[in-house]
Amino acid sequence: MSQTNQARRLFLKQLGIVGGGLIVGLPLSASVNANSTTNAALQPNAFIHLSQSGEVSFYLPRSEMGQGTYHGLTTLIGEELDIDPARIRVHHATADTAFNNPEYDQQITGGSTSMKGSYLPLRQAAADARALLLLAAVQQLGVPREQLRTDNGYVLHGEQKTPYAELVAVAAQLETPQDVALKEPSEFKYIGKQRPRLDGHAKATGTAEFGLDIDFPGLQRAVLVRCPVAGGTVNRVDDSAARGMPGVTHVVSIHNGVAVVAEHYYQAKLAAAKLVIDWQLPEKLSQFSSAEGQAQFAQALDADKSHEAFKQGDGSKALNPASRVLRADYWAPYLAHATMEPMNCTVKIADGEMDVWVGSQSPGLAQGLAAFYSGISKSKIRIHSTFLGGGFGRRTASDYVGEAVAIAKASGVPVQLIWSREDDTRHDLYRPAAMARFAIGLTDDGRIDTWQVRRAGPNIMAYTVDEALDAMAPGFLPNGMVNWMSKAGYGLYDGWSLDHSSVEGLYEDYDASHKAVEHVTVDPGLPCGFWRSVGHSFSGFFKESMIDEVAVATEQDPVAYRLQHLSGNPRLANALKVAAEKAGWPKAGNSERRLGVAAHNSFASSVAQVAEVSLENGAIRVHKVVCVVDCGRVVNPDVVKAQMESGILFGLTAALHGEITLKDGVVQQSNFHDYPVLRMPQTPEIDVHIIDSNEPPTGVGEPGTPPIAAAVANALFALTGQRLRSLPLKLAS
Amino acid sequence: MISFQLNGQRVDADVPADMPLLWVVRDHFKLKGSKFGCGMGLCGACSMLVDGQSTRTCILPVAAVANRAVTTIEGLADKDSQQLSTLQQAWVAHSVPQCGYCQSGQLISATALLNSNPAPSDADIDNAMQGNLCRCGTYPRIKQAIKAAAEQTAAAVHTFDPRQAEAKA
Repeated sequence: MSQTNQARRLFLKQLGIVGGGLIVGLPLSASVNANSTTNAALQPNAFIHLSQSGEVSFYLPRSEMGQGTYHGLTTLIGEELDIDPARIRVHHATADTAFNNPEYDQQITGGSTSMKGSYLPLRQAAADARALLLLAAVQQLGVPREQLRTDNGYVLHGEQKTPYAELVAVAAQLETPQDVALKEPSEFKYIGKQRPRLDGHAKATGTAEFGLDIDFPGLQRAVLVRCPVAGGTVNRVDDSAARGMPGVTHVVSIHNGVAVVAEHYYQAKLAAAKLVIDWQLPEKLSQFSSAEGQAQFAQALDADKSHEAFKQGDGSKALNPASRVLRADYWAPYLAHATMEPMNCTVKIADGEMDVWVGSQSPGLAQGLAAFYSGISKSKIRIHSTFLGGGFGRRTASDYVGEAVAIAKASGVPVQLIWSREDDTRHDLYRPAAMARFAIGLTDDGRIDTWQVRRAGPNIMAYTVDEALDAMAPGFLPNGMVNWMSKAGYGLYDGWSLDHSSVEGLYEDYDASHKAVEHVTVDPGLPCGFWRSVGHSFSGFFKESMIDEVAVATEQDPVAYRLQHLSGNPRLANALKVAAEKAGWPKAGNSERRLGVAAHNSFASSVAQVAEVSLENGAIRVHKVVCVVDCGRVVNPDVVKAQMESGILFGLTAALHGEITLKDGVVQQSNFHDYPVLRMPQTPEIDVHIIDSNEPPTGVGEPGTPPIAAAVANALFALTGQRLRSLPLKLAS
Repeated sequence: MISFQLNGQRVDADVPADMPLLWVVRDHFKLKGSKFGCGMGLCGACSMLVDGQSTRTCILPVAAVANRAVTTIEGLADKDSQQLSTLQQAWVAHSVPQCGYCQSGQLISATALLNSNPAPSDADIDNAMQGNLCRCGTYPRIKQAIKAAAEQTAAAVHTFDPRQAEAKA
């Protein structure tokens, strides 16, 4: 487990203890035992349900937001249950501790942990079910276990084929056997094989249901006007003009703004523009503008007041003034997620109970926040999960769930809260801006002796604490107290530990006798959250550009220089070697182009990339990216490939375009014209290679993102001699 | 009352003339396959065919399609057999979708492209598809699937090519 995961798990466990209501460590396969099943169906655990009519259902415990859990985790079930995954009916799981992510003890889809954390437990759940069916067959057919085998939904005895469905009634009466063995990899029929995605058909026919697609008679649409500066509150509102607009049924004030409820979304949106609101602006953030932001971060780095995040050897003391030290500052801006499906949530409150329909990366926290904003106990709140139209970390937060619940409660009607693209861009929980200052001390022969790096910027944890406390605080605490605790934010959090995600990826990969990692918190107050690859999203660029600088300064080949410093990191070294070979390093496709390389470990996976870059009419053009990934044993090779493509293009948007700026605390971007996303004509050819491995599976949703900006920047250096140390990458003209 | 053709059927909608077509189709006719993405015609998630052209419907007043033919993602498969279109089949075979939210719009634009240009070059595809954003980065697979569908259609059509006939003879 990575240090990040440990920190997050500890953090969540502590909250659980504080909350008193969190059930932790429930073994997955024991969460619902065989006693709870009936003759009509076999439900040996929370995940698997077999009916007598032959339907095999799988309750998918992780959210599907594009990264492939629907296909991947169903593959695990199909493998051990021994039935073609395409024959399994997949349901999105509701909020329940039985569906907690074993990596976090919370029902969270994040940290590229879905396959890593499910690989054994879900296979075990399916293997247990198969064992029950075989036991039932022994009884029902009166033959010894040794003469039975299974194949694609049947128990076979010689020529006799018994469908699983015919064994369900007997199996449901049996105790789940203990210590059921899992298949050997040599027996795999589905794991490691190339098959079309199981959710492909629904998504190619428009039938996949997203949160925005929820509809029922009486449902109204809501648009919420929030303070332009995050955290501001309503002083006064004049809603007379809005109330007179067509279709409008309610105008209500909630904790963070004023909502217009109407029959249709476009009516609510038109009416919301007529609201006249006087805001109480938050003092700190409304004084922050990005134009001075970088200077503020740099000053903080100068000030010499920092937390030690990591130390090895003599740390900073080893920076010998007599020897050669390379220094550089790097910068990465705030970023929005820009999921294609804007935030939305549908809420119906009736008879003291509540139904919530939402595409969420954390349905359990969504349920908790729904309880906080409604006063209805969690046991009376049903969460209906849907497909997610993109997540990238944005949907780990439940701010939009809290809003929808508050609007439904205040208006007294079922509502679907729909964020506009402008809302989505301006009221995100942003990837924190970050500045890193490196000082790399070299030995006489040009090797790295001391790796010192200090990072300045906001911490994500300060904002997740806020929401998690609201969601998880026990019912007996009055809301006022919970509010006080959560708004204590940094005060509460600083005393715990350093937010590892603020420094992750800055220092781990390369060999150095001495390492010193320090952190300075600078936080203008713009809400921050998890953004695909989290801290690695900036540290991958910082670290992989810096190592390139060092290689160039010591006049060594960037691949060879990295390899010299990867003795403690054989898997990354191997990925790098293979990537260099596949890309034809160091020679680009033609004389107009140059190659740049980057390699980075994140989420327990190793990824190396080589980008081939040229200038077209002075603009940066990325022609090709060779990507090599080592993510342990591969369950779905094509999903791994797709995730590398996805991570690269997501990172390329950030490298070439991504920048959220503020003026007096107000986000300046609003939609895809001023917060552009990569389009097809800018998309490079991507050539993915997967390292063959028998190690346990590790993450793929995020690790493709961190290296790409540095690979492109390093290629641009080779091409132009300009070392670009800020994102997005902009060449001096 | 505004009348138009929706997926081959004549429909009447008693809705305000300025209501965007996207919301008429989603909320009035309850076809949820076309998506809301940006509300400014910038992302293409709301694309529908209007008289065969890929059109951004989040900014198109329903009055603009009076007496015209509108096709949504729900209208791409064969109406009787429910067999997927060649493009949809290629989409599934190439595992194009990730989160899937933009894919209805992508398929609509790809359909419009192949209807007007059965053998598009890479540049043709880039040009036709650049109005459709995908945040998951499925562009390489979209391109592959379009090419595969174009090849399959070409193979199925068996057009008489005198040069090929000559070469064989």
